[in-house]
Amino acid sequence: MNVYLLQVVNGVGIGMLYFLLAVGLSIIFGLLRFVNFAHGAFYLLGAYFCFQAVAWGLSFWLALVLVPLAVALLAWAAERILLRRIYDKPHEFHILITVGVALVLQEAVILVWGPLGDNVATPAPFQGVVMWGSFIYPKYRLFVIGFTAVFALFLWWVLEGTRLGSAVRAGSESTEMVAMLGINVFRVFGLVFALGAGTAALAGALAAPIRGVDPFMGLEALGVAFVIVVVGGMGSFGGALAGGLLIGIVQSVMSSLWPEGARLMIYVAMAAVLLLRPHGLLGRG
Amino acid sequence: MPALRDNSGLLLALAVVLLLPLLLQSGTLATEVLVYALAVLGCNLLLGYTGLLSFGQGVFFGMGSYAVGILLTRAGMPLMAAVLLSIVIGAGVAALIGWFAIRQRGTYFVMLTLAFAQMFYFLAYSLPGWTGGDNGLLGIPRPPLSLGGLASVPLDTPWRFYSFVAVVFLLTFWLLHRVTTSVFGRTLLAIRENEARARAVGYDTRLFKLAVFAISGAVTALAGALHAMMTGIAPLSNIEYHTSEMILVMTVIGGTGNLFASLLGAAFYVLAADWLSTLWPRWLLLLGLLLIGVSLFMHKGLWGVGQGLWQWATGRVRAGRPAVREQSL
Amino acid sequence: MNRRQLLQLAAASAAASALPLPLRVARAQAAQAIQFGCPVPMSGAFAANGKFADLGMKLAVEQYGKVLDRPLAYTLLDTEGKPATAVRKMQELVQQKGARYFAGGILSSEALAMGKEAEKNNAVFITTAGADEITGADCNRATFRWSVPTYGAIERTVRPLIEQMPNAKRWYTITPQYVFGDGLLTAAKNIFKEKGIEHVGNSYHSLTEKEFSGYLTNAMAARPDVLLLLNFGSQSSDALRQAVSFGMKQNTTILMAWASGLEQFESLGADLCEGVYFGAQYWHGIDAPGNQDFVRRAREVFKANPNYSLAGSYICTKILIDAIVKAGSDEPAKVIAALEGMKYTGLTGDEEIRPEDHQVLKNYYLLRGKAKSAMKDKDDYADILSFGKSFLPVAQTGCKL
Repeated sequence: MNVYLLQVVNGVGIGMLYFLLAVGLSIIFGLLRFVNFAHGAFYLLGAYFCFQAVAWGLSFWLALVLVPLAVALLAWAAERILLRRIYDKPHEFHILITVGVALVLQEAVILVWGPLGDNVATPAPFQGVVMWGSFIYPKYRLFVIGFTAVFALFLWWVLEGTRLGSAVRAGSESTEMVAMLGINVFRVFGLVFALGAGTAALAGALAAPIRGVDPFMGLEALGVAFVIVVVGGMGSFGGALAGGLLIGIVQSVMSSLWPEGARLMIYVAMAAVLLLRPHGLLGRG
Repeated sequence: MPALRDNSGLLLALAVVLLLPLLLQSGTLATEVLVYALAVLGCNLLLGYTGLLSFGQGVFFGMGSYAVGILLTRAGMPLMAAVLLSIVIGAGVAALIGWFAIRQRGTYFVMLTLAFAQMFYFLAYSLPGWTGGDNGLLGIPRPPLSLGGLASVPLDTPWRFYSFVAVVFLLTFWLLHRVTTSVFGRTLLAIRENEARARAVGYDTRLFKLAVFAISGAVTALAGALHAMMTGIAPLSNIEYHTSEMILVMTVIGGTGNLFASLLGAAFYVLAADWLSTLWPRWLLLLGLLLIGVSLFMHKGLWGVGQGLWQWATGRVRAGRPAVREQSL
Repeated sequence: MNRRQLLQLAAASAAASALPLPLRVARAQAAQAIQFGCPVPMSGAFAANGKFADLGMKLAVEQYGKVLDRPLAYTLLDTEGKPATAVRKMQELVQQKGARYFAGGILSSEALAMGKEAEKNNAVFITTAGADEITGADCNRATFRWSVPTYGAIERTVRPLIEQMPNAKRWYTITPQYVFGDGLLTAAKNIFKEKGIEHVGNSYHSLTEKEFSGYLTNAMAARPDVLLLLNFGSQSSDALRQAVSFGMKQNTTILMAWASGLEQFESLGADLCEGVYFGAQYWHGIDAPGNQDFVRRAREVFKANPNYSLAGSYICTKILIDAIVKAGSDEPAKVIAALEGMKYTGLTGDEEIRPEDHQVLKNYYLLRGKAKSAMKDKDDYADILSFGKSFLPVAQTGCKL
């Protein structure tokens, strides 16, 4: 199989994980109108909680369910206690407070688990590779593609088919209207923030067997998430998917074409989108 | 005493500059406070006066370091010429980035500065011939200051260099004070409050924003150049995201919209970080808590706290008089 | 300057508290002890290395306690992984406590900067950082280096592996794109040419890269016999983990030329490391009297086997202390003269400091990961396959002292 075709498939694999990482940030921006610099920290927590759960003997699958819920709960509490007080403040404080939360969480992780990274074993049914002619690919990454696709459908259903989803979509247009309709806007904010953090944590837990866990994985994840959200369109679910896949495929193909330039290209792409089409590929702004 | 009040920021800055050598044992630490104070002034111009939240200040800081490094080691320029040229380069790069960045507003602007910051970081990393790559530029000298061929002042010891940096700092502070209290400065404030209205009144807001970008870039590059001479190196970390983040944090901690607050913010961060890092390796956690605290309770930053205390103290004495109206200094 | 002295006196009498504030405190108290500095990253991405480096110096300082009838003292300096912070804190320690002896610098960028600063301040600096320039183009009188640079690391891993596997003719390299990575790559390419190895491809990547699947896919398409990883730290761990997940262990031999040793094995786990070849500066299982003594001490004090960061810092500090004893003085110029050409019993056997470039001549090890079932204790991750000393002749290092 041509190596570029392989790179595209690999890119889809990376891209789906990127989508999962970025969609929470995108939704949070769509409704709450601020960029959550703690997003990477929720990804980090998801990975470490998963590591700890598995270390305690819990099954990886159970962890995959419990960990995002735990982080979502934490995020919901953070929103209620911290963020709610500053919605009406200038946006530099939104950014500053989430930067603070990110720092606190990162250092807390080091306090609890130490500064050295660690490993999470690939869950048993997905160890090993699939071989199809010259196409060799880890089973686990295929699982991630499938799982994320299913989860994406679920998330899409939440956003399109439920009342919460309608409130989120309407609130992205105008929070005043939503409030006037009798919906408790603040409760929606809290749930959305929790949902965003939960998906980031899920991404972290899923990524753990691939990337391991280390206390600084949150910073790298945040950078990637920003790029995808910008390219795909802030506030857009479809944009996160399109952006994630695009960046994933570009990154993977670049590693055969021009490996040194891969990172630079990504940020050039980000700047280009912001300048030429700021709402991103599929965003509404 | 209106003259005293108008210049109170400058006088306070002078007081701090004189106080640092008495309080601190380390000349390099004192110099670092002033160097970062310059960078924070640059950031404050953008954020506090024009309402532009820039994550790209590290680019200008790094460019200033690289410029002075290359000029001093490869072009063998004298000190003042190298520093002045670095300032010009900083302004130029800032104008370039600003020209693109100001096309967007709000969060898009913030993201753009982030994107540019990352781009420049990867550029610096990929051009080791110019920047030394990951190693950075090493062996940057600290040539003596030649005063028009009349005298040559050596800057070799930390306190001598501090004196030089202190003079530069106060000069810059005074210049920025003139800028921010001028018509130009008030226009910036108007743009911060309501850009549409400023435009409606007839100001070319884009030009103003570009100008303030250039000034900010110039001041931040100056800081970078001085930093490079202080440490003798121009490392890659100066142009990293973390530097931009740190400068922004210092700006908000100090308080926006007030020049002296920038010195407060820089002094507080540099000294606290230096002290805390000897106590606990996880001192960043305390910094994170501080950021949360500032966001929740101290929106005017340390300057606001200081002002509040002053008003409380003097308000008690002069009961009945209305509190001093907040002015930008 | 009189006012300063007066204030200093006042501050000295007032400052009775033990808080290490950066304010003026009495200098008289510290004058007796010989001051060491440990400039290592305690926060930031390399905090793990810094933590153990601190313990290493502590062990050495406490082992000696006193030298030339003066107590030994050391200060930990958190460089945060940033060269500028490292330089500043080194400057401050020199001024405030008169410290002249520094052992640290985990990252090459910090080490290079600190080396220059040490020279400016008439201090002595010994480091374990890997960049060739430290004892090459950027060498200076104040800087010494304990670890083996790129040439030796490649000579002692690639060459023995080629000899062990004469039929493995196709090698693919993954290289971090900067001076150090290029150093490793050039050394490897030279051996490839000499031995008729086909270099089927190379993938450069940035220092912050975490996703290696693209490079591995490219590598697998070239059907290599050996995958040579030239990155280090968490990047080498990530690359190895992902390579194994792609099933590369099945038909490719993997060699990680610059591994960190025990701390890396711990974070990867025995299953991942089984059958993989690693190059290492140090292993706690080294059978040398100097090492056995050190490991025994480390076990006593820390109840654990020492890892590379701890060992490196320990031996660097010990070298400095021994040189002070040998010189009979704590004057840097005399100690430097004592260090040059010093031969001693080190952790890897007999070690010697080459006077022309201040490089310690020591062994570099080729290890192979063991199966979990073959591990005799929880730290027995690898066997030492071979070791030796390979260093570029001084003329080729570019060092002019």
